[in-house]
Amino acid sequence: MTLEPMSLFWLALTVLAYLGSRWLYRRTGRYLLSPLILAPVVLLAVAVPLHTAYAEYARNTHWLMAVLGPVTVAFAVPIWQQRALLARHWPALGLGMLFGSAASIGSSWALAHALSLDSAVSLSLLPRSITTPFAMPLAQDLGGVPELTAVFVMFTGVLGAMFGGVLLKYLPLRTPLARGALFGVGAHGAGVSRAHEVGGEEGSVAGLVMVLTGLLNLFAAPLLSALL
Amino acid sequence: MNAAFLKKSLRLLAELGVLLALYLLGGLLAGWLDWPIPGGVIGMALLLMVFATGWVKPATLQLGAGLLMAEMLLFFIPALMSLLDYGTLLRDEGWRILLVIGVSTLLVMLVTAFTVEWVCRWSMRHDA
Repeated sequence: MTLEPMSLFWLALTVLAYLGSRWLYRRTGRYLLSPLILAPVVLLAVAVPLHTAYAEYARNTHWLMAVLGPVTVAFAVPIWQQRALLARHWPALGLGMLFGSAASIGSSWALAHALSLDSAVSLSLLPRSITTPFAMPLAQDLGGVPELTAVFVMFTGVLGAMFGGVLLKYLPLRTPLARGALFGVGAHGAGVSRAHEVGGEEGSVAGLVMVLTGLLNLFAAPLLSALL
Repeated sequence: MNAAFLKKSLRLLAELGVLLALYLLGGLLAGWLDWPIPGGVIGMALLLMVFATGWVKPATLQLGAGLLMAEMLLFFIPALMSLLDYGTLLRDEGWRILLVIGVSTLLVMLVTAFTVEWVCRWSMRHDA
């Protein structure tokens, strides 16, 4: 195996941009400095002037994405720890996830068609409200582009974390369950961190619901493919 | 480097090794059984079954699982760089895409929150 300095450079820069923005975000608490936004902006700011293609960037960074597989396995821990919550409230959470997912997929599909978006883009938009480790394989199943889906998942997280805070102020939601589910179904990981800032129970609900919504969508994929 | 740090690092590596092994095992099972389910999901199901038997407590894997979930963003940043290949697409359709994402996300949040809230209120009334 030959070492390619340029592709190792991208791996190092990716990790540095991530650690740097995480440090800045923790120090300042400013959302624009979070790794979700600042890290890709820094990487793009270096890659675009160098005319780097994605394939070149991905040569040594793709294995970072491969870690999303073990991350999925790790989701078993929060599911198991929150099983009492699920056992007590499964009708409410189950229906919320079901209707929320239907609203997500249905409205993405309808809006994408109404605005006549490219078909690869439309298909990649469908799984965008679930967490990346589930959204990327689902995009593959549906015939979309997994990487494009990851980009849309990111925008969903950023917008969702913002909208969620505003919605909580105006909606008459009395239960922590509803407030947590709003973030977990609507804005996956970014929403879960916001939900933890709202309250402990909201955070646990959001985390649980995020993983279960991902599973629900993944298992609904064959049905969805048949409909499309 | 002190002994406690070394011990913690080894522990972390072992836990990450177990999670990785379950992921790979899940992938193998999916291949053998010809199931269209990602290896990670099967690995997760296997881990849940192990927890259910009571042999292993979730706390045993807390360090490794916690690290993977806390640093999940790092593993997902590389996919965002696909923007490098989709520059023109996003210039042409970017605003429309953002509109879809924004409107749809609002809708998902409203539908989810009100569904959960109503079912909770309904069951509270009927339990009382």
